[in-house]
Amino acid sequence: MAECIVVTSGKGGVGKTTTTANLGMALALNGSKVAVVDADIGLRNLDVILGLENRIVYDLVHVIEGECRLKQALIRDKRVENLFLLPAAQTRDKNAVTPAQMRELVNQIKAEGYDYVIVDCPAGIEQGFKNAVAGADKAIIVTTPEVSAIRDADRIIGMVEAAELPEPQLIINRYRPRMVASGDMMNKEDILEILSIPLLGIVPDHEEIIISANRGAPVVLDEKSLVGEAYRRIGRRLKGEPDVPMLEFPVNTGFWSTLKKLMGLSAREVA
Amino acid sequence: MIEFISRIFGRTQGAAPGSKDTAKQRLKFLLIHDQVDLSPAQLEQMKAELIKVIAKYVEIDESDTAVRLERSDGQIALVSSIPVRRVVEREVASLPKEVANNTKIVEPVVVVEEVAHSA
Repeated sequence: MAECIVVTSGKGGVGKTTTTANLGMALALNGSKVAVVDADIGLRNLDVILGLENRIVYDLVHVIEGECRLKQALIRDKRVENLFLLPAAQTRDKNAVTPAQMRELVNQIKAEGYDYVIVDCPAGIEQGFKNAVAGADKAIIVTTPEVSAIRDADRIIGMVEAAELPEPQLIINRYRPRMVASGDMMNKEDILEILSIPLLGIVPDHEEIIISANRGAPVVLDEKSLVGEAYRRIGRRLKGEPDVPMLEFPVNTGFWSTLKKLMGLSAREVA
Repeated sequence: MIEFISRIFGRTQGAAPGSKDTAKQRLKFLLIHDQVDLSPAQLEQMKAELIKVIAKYVEIDESDTAVRLERSDGQIALVSSIPVRRVVEREVASLPKEVANNTKIVEPVVVVEEVAHSA
């Protein structure tokens, strides 16, 4: 049974697109057939994060307006079997599509034998959001441990419920264990107390994310990456695998580790 | 230099309170006011009127009253704590004499009132 999941946040810049790319890839690496859909019409970026920008011929609006067939617009990833991208149009705006058309599009993709359709929602609460949630069976909320992002996440949770989707799940992104340990960043419990929705996973902040975006190669492709592991575990939880433990981020504030960090000797440790 | 040394040795836990508690408090306040659309000024006015009404029936300690909105599990509650000194004379006078004698001076109690507001 195919499932459509919308990745949303309200606030921009919290990592929706990175989450969509990595999650889609994690699910495909785990054997599912996945289509990631960029619903950010006019400001597409999922193609860049996935490194597929040079292969776009047709986009979502072309499919909806009947200028091409769905199969022609879906770009097959060459690194990961069974991962496909449906890019957004870059030269149109969000009003080019209606919620009913999006629903129809998602159903069409589902009918092609996909296990997951993951929709990257644009920031904001207007037409773009309404389009992105229209075809979704459930929602994932991405937030960062900041006042502004959590405030907007709270608002979006209300809107997801108003759209009659089931209770959304939360991904806490850009988590910085060192700042949490020193009391300068809200921890997992603080955030869950405020948002009171189930936690799907925590993704640590790391330079690797910027490097992977530079290269167009999502971090989940790096088997040794801790950030990649965070996404792989989220993928397993989404697939319903029970008891996938939350990643631990031990913070060593002792003398030697701090000295090493200052000298740049432990580059792989998370911030 | 001191900062450098303290960085080397790692910050002592709990020495200086982190900023996350400030963030959490601000966030809680924001979310409540986002949800009920009641400005802090309106809340103050409501508090003053509430106290005026309650003071008609019982003598209260105005210096120690608290009326605020709290949120848990997406529900907003109006929580008030109003210490009562004694029942006012006028009310007591209408009660039967023996009851009046017993109730004239009541121990200070705290009235906690919760009015649920669905999300």
